[in-house]
Amino acid sequence: MERRAMKEVGGVVVAGVLACAAARGADVEIVRKGAGKSVIDVSGLRASGGPGATLFVSVLQSDLLRSGWFTIAKPGMGGVVLSGECRETSGNLRAACTVSVRGRTQTYLDKVFRDESPQARALAHAAADEIVRAVRAVRGIASTRIVMVGSHGGRKEIYTCDADGGNLTRITNMGGICIAPNWAPDGGRLVYTSFHRGFPDVYMYDFRTRVQKPIANYPGVNVSADVSPDGKSIALTLSRDGNPELYVKNLRNGKLKRLTKTPHAAEASPSWSPDGGQIVFVSDRAGAPQLYRVSASGGGAKRLTFRGNENVAPDWGPNGLIVYSSKRSGRYQLCMMDSSGGRRQQLTTEQADHEDPSWAPDGRHIAYGRTERYRSSIYILDTLKDPPVRLLSRSGDWYSPSWSP
Amino acid sequence: MVSVGRRMIVIAGCLLVIIGTGCWSTKPGPEAEVLNPDVIPEDMPLHPRENAYGNPVPKSEFSVPPVYFGYDSYQVANSELHKLQAVASFMRRTPGVLLVIEGHCDERGTREYNMSLGEHRALAVRAGLVGLRVGSSRIQTRSFGEEMPVDGGHSEQSWQRNRRGVFVLYRRK
Repeated sequence: MERRAMKEVGGVVVAGVLACAAARGADVEIVRKGAGKSVIDVSGLRASGGPGATLFVSVLQSDLLRSGWFTIAKPGMGGVVLSGECRETSGNLRAACTVSVRGRTQTYLDKVFRDESPQARALAHAAADEIVRAVRAVRGIASTRIVMVGSHGGRKEIYTCDADGGNLTRITNMGGICIAPNWAPDGGRLVYTSFHRGFPDVYMYDFRTRVQKPIANYPGVNVSADVSPDGKSIALTLSRDGNPELYVKNLRNGKLKRLTKTPHAAEASPSWSPDGGQIVFVSDRAGAPQLYRVSASGGGAKRLTFRGNENVAPDWGPNGLIVYSSKRSGRYQLCMMDSSGGRRQQLTTEQADHEDPSWAPDGRHIAYGRTERYRSSIYILDTLKDPPVRLLSRSGDWYSPSWSP
Repeated sequence: MVSVGRRMIVIAGCLLVIIGTGCWSTKPGPEAEVLNPDVIPEDMPLHPRENAYGNPVPKSEFSVPPVYFGYDSYQVANSELHKLQAVASFMRRTPGVLLVIEGHCDERGTREYNMSLGEHRALAVRAGLVGLRVGSSRIQTRSFGEEMPVDGGHSEQSWQRNRRGVFVLYRRK
């Protein structure tokens, strides 16, 4: 076995381990170090004064577990100690948190979190992310959100929720079909395709103004919009020139740049590289849908996937790795690979369809749609091997998740 | 859900309408010539959408069953070409009529890819109609991907019925 450091991801060392399977080009495993957990004693954090304070403490504990970096110790045990008090006074929350090493004077964090409005959940998420950063020197995900499609009786609307499934909010209310939601990198806007004016057009929704505006409504299909890391452009699929092709649209001057020219093939599902220089996408130019990579300024496309009958739905993560769905023995399984397609690893094996994966900004977790017996729900996968967690327990079908920045 | 038997009746009904309106009498000639979508010029841009579509052409006046496709395919099979010929013939003799071709897929494959595949199917039908001398400015395409199955089942038979291109005709306002 050959082991070498590959990439530094927010303190997590990603190492490539060459699996020495003998025959025909076995997958190369991407193994990550740094998965060890800190054992934290939270029994010293008290709540007083009202239900908001109690909620703060329970959400904070749950967030620490979901971060993947902590296990909760029995009272009096564990190397990391969280102590303090969350007090609720006439609707306002004040949480004083101290995180320290047991038996030493060293302190990771000593901070007061306040909220004038009784948003206990948001306050707990902020505290959890600060604790994750202070103790593990990595980015947390407690304050992030997930956008998805919820389907109830033929209505397919856009929803968002917190990364722990709380605070579920319906964004659109068109009574029709919405598909393929994605976040703008500022986290304040969404892009998606909606049929509410009769044809599939791309809209941008602004959380501040609560207004949606069409940003691509050319004749034919307008779908799969993904906003560039600088926020200035979208990559998307259009058929205005007579065939489904990949384009980049400049959102300031409206100019289009066509990236593919494949009269006998369809392109879909573009995703930008973290530096905005390249785009990974799906094309069926070789017969079945496979993943390709192209420079955002144009030029030839390089095929990245060869194994599996279909490889679809790529998401290029902040860690440089591309996660996607690969058809293996009739089911879609999640796989990830490096940006050249050289190293790859299968992440799921269960007999269900695992679709539309989306990286969390921590570069560790992945949201995906899981379909079994024709029912879909969203799960969170941990690439460092914690078991998958179901995001929502509500009725209806939930799919096409995209994780906020 | 429409049973196969009922569909046959619909097709038979359409043939009666076609014969009744005289289009079936067209002799093989330039009109019956079918242009394979693969030999259509590479770029045949879509025309701008109409601002408003008028009333749908009633089924009693003209109706053609959907074009069906193979799995993961956008090719119009030879067995489906008579449907294109019937639509082309109707449109050529009915100038005020516009067409939206709706492209659909079965539930397999991801939703985003199926949006592209459904559009590819609709565009293949469009290319065939342009080959049959229907002005391309009269045709729009609308992909529904896998979002609007006509058959909610999960068998090969259901999937076949869902992989379709639907002709929706409007009379211009």
